Amino acid sequence: MKKQPELITSRKLLFACLGICMTAALIRSAAAQAPAATPPPTPYSAAAEQGKGIFSSSCSFCHGSQATGTEQAPNLLRSPLVFQDHNGDSLGPFLKDGRPTLGMPAFPTLAPEQVQDISAFLHARIQEIRGTRLPETAMLVGDPKAGLAYFNGAGKCSTCHSATGDLAHIAAKTQPLALTTLFLTPPAKPIQVTVVLPSGQTVSGQLEYLDEFTVALVDADGAYRTFPRDRTKSVDVVDPLIAHKKLLPMYTDKDIHDLLAYLVTLK
Amino acid sequence: MKCRPILSLASLLFLPICLSAQTLDPEALHRPPTDTWPTYNGDYSGQRYSTLSQINAANVSSLGLAWTHHVEFGNESYAQQASEGRRIKSTPLLVDGVLYFTITDNVWAMDALTGRELWHYAWPNNRAIHVANRGVGMYGKWLYFMSPDNYLVSLNAKDGSERWRVQVADVKQDFFSATSPLIIGNHVIVGPGNNDNIRAWLESRDPETGALQWKWWVDPDPGAPGSETWVDNATMAKGGGFPWLTGTYDPELNLYYLGTGNGVPTDRPPHPTPEGDSLYTASIVALNPDTGKLVWAYQVTPHDTHDYDAGQTPIIFDGEFQGKKRKLLAQVSRNGYFFLLDRVTGEHLLTTKYMPETNWAKDIDAEGRPIPDYTKDANPPGALVSPYPIGATNWWSPSYDPKTGLIYCNAARTWAYFTTSGYGRFRSPPDYLTVAIDYKTGKVVWTHELGDKSGVLISGLLTTAGNLLFGGDSFGNFLAMDPATGKTLWHASLGQFVTNSAMTYELNGRQYLLVAANDTWFAFAVPESEAKNNGHIKGH
Repeated sequence: MKKQPELITSRKLLFACLGICMTAALIRSAAAQAPAATPPPTPYSAAAEQGKGIFSSSCSFCHGSQATGTEQAPNLLRSPLVFQDHNGDSLGPFLKDGRPTLGMPAFPTLAPEQVQDISAFLHARIQEIRGTRLPETAMLVGDPKAGLAYFNGAGKCSTCHSATGDLAHIAAKTQPLALTTLFLTPPAKPIQVTVVLPSGQTVSGQLEYLDEFTVALVDADGAYRTFPRDRTKSVDVVDPLIAHKKLLPMYTDKDIHDLLAYLVTLK
Repeated sequence: MKCRPILSLASLLFLPICLSAQTLDPEALHRPPTDTWPTYNGDYSGQRYSTLSQINAANVSSLGLAWTHHVEFGNESYAQQASEGRRIKSTPLLVDGVLYFTITDNVWAMDALTGRELWHYAWPNNRAIHVANRGVGMYGKWLYFMSPDNYLVSLNAKDGSERWRVQVADVKQDFFSATSPLIIGNHVIVGPGNNDNIRAWLESRDPETGALQWKWWVDPDPGAPGSETWVDNATMAKGGGFPWLTGTYDPELNLYYLGTGNGVPTDRPPHPTPEGDSLYTASIVALNPDTGKLVWAYQVTPHDTHDYDAGQTPIIFDGEFQGKKRKLLAQVSRNGYFFLLDRVTGEHLLTTKYMPETNWAKDIDAEGRPIPDYTKDANPPGALVSPYPIGATNWWSPSYDPKTGLIYCNAARTWAYFTTSGYGRFRSPPDYLTVAIDYKTGKVVWTHELGDKSGVLISGLLTTAGNLLFGGDSFGNFLAMDPATGKTLWHASLGQFVTNSAMTYELNGRQYLLVAANDTWFAFAVPESEAKNNGHIKGH
């Protein structure tokens, strides 16, 4: 019984959602009953129109003209990589190398602007397919003051980040959902590793590979070095994102909502 | 021509008196899998435990490659072009020295001694979802295979020639099939899958003709038991819950055990209230295989809203629980919880959380079922949920080792942000580990990290009387672990991660260990000299 208040909140939420859904349904049925005038196709932005052309010539053969996939390649409108992409930031690095083992060729010659246009086209398509969802402002239910306290306190965000430094104006360029994704799971960064050999010699560099048996790195001179782990004294890995990973099981949803509410004030 | 003594009445009923060529003796289904591996899981129990011990903890360091075989099926095949579909996910059957395995749209027979291909059957290209095929079933000299576009196909094991095909479901309604048919008596048990809002079922077919014997509907008829857990008949009539993995069977009790899929859509009413469990979705059920009638059901995720189906293998074994010898059933479930039941009655015995990150439930009810925390459903500001829909585990076969009393499962640490705002989607990449669970307490005894490099797939597991646990990590290493501690005893880098569950067999006095990585098979054995020194191949 002590859980009752939560339940009431949930029910309120349900009614709110139902209200939105019903309104949407009414609009749809009104549209369906309207005379044959077909609604104009969603106008794409100039970038999306450009992207449509590039997509058509470079990608549609495998992913289909509508990006919904074919037998050869997946539906990009359900692709986590596309969802997480913002203006080409995920697509760009991905297209550069492709995924040859899965038959996805590399497109190293695409200019960054072209990648951004493809990104705009794919996001426009996702919007067409998934219909109108709640605006991202619906995510802003948290308390910015509590978010600031979390930033400086329990979240220990201020250990590495600053509102006037790396995060200055972050909300001006990043939407709430992308912002949430960014702090929940930031894009991968190079990992540094230090290997101590039995002789006591230390080898440091950027981690290339690490499993139970092998560690491989590129050292400061750009040389690739690989070692069997049972012939090393120690392998110390410094993952710059470890703090973010460790937070995942620690967050309450309120922490996330509050933190977002705070971060969106950094305009 | 090879004749075998026919001992049982059942054999006389089901097979001609004299067996010729590769023919499965039905009695083999009731023995531990040694020189024969007659079902997807090796036997009916789902334990994936082999009594073979020629390869054992003492000599595993000498384990070496016996043969390898790369599968070719032509660039024109749609399966070849499907990213997930072209991987070997099946566990082969082994009968009279011949291995039978599948990739979606394709069936092969292969010499178990050398890996040489004997025949290849290719199903015509089609527009179904080519996500996987988990293997064939066998009855006498006939094989049974599900095509992705939902035909049950019977092949002659001798040469792969097609005997007949029957349509189980229509691909135009977006059904797709990947299961390995299970043969129980004269029943071929199969079920299709579908991701849409549609009524789910399991069915049985006649092994001789393919004629339908019975259908069991996951979503009840209006007014039938279980229907009271749905908001209305219309929702129930398309409530989903496809049992998409092969179940297990207790011949003494004559019960077929399987896990059902998740209910759909995930935001179906009544929601978000605690009423409306959506039976029999996300449940472990016991069916009479002769009639398809439900005997008992236990739901592991009431009113699922996160795609936590309960398809995972219901492992059956006899063992002590709280001082009493019992007929048990255990499931390491996709929802992050471990369940132990009495398989005679379905009585609940134990529930524990094996993945500590799991946060979609707020408590366990009196019957051991997790109580969903509906604040963890998709909502406008969003909820951080573990596990994400890939699950805390998935179809990756678990294993039970009666010598340790531990259940082993490959699991994934995952997170997703469920929001109804915006168009993005956050999912952290799965971070894999092997977990060992003491069935008596449900406690995790040890874990072994496997890394996060294999996308949405990790290997299944196998235990043997040689005190070994076999599985693959996410990097491409095939591992032999100590089942008591999880410590790695041996490994081989296959260059690509393991995509199926290893199996093992005895042939000409030698034990082989067989595993697949993408489109290549790898068979391992200890050197001949080692094999001779270790005469008692059959273990205890």
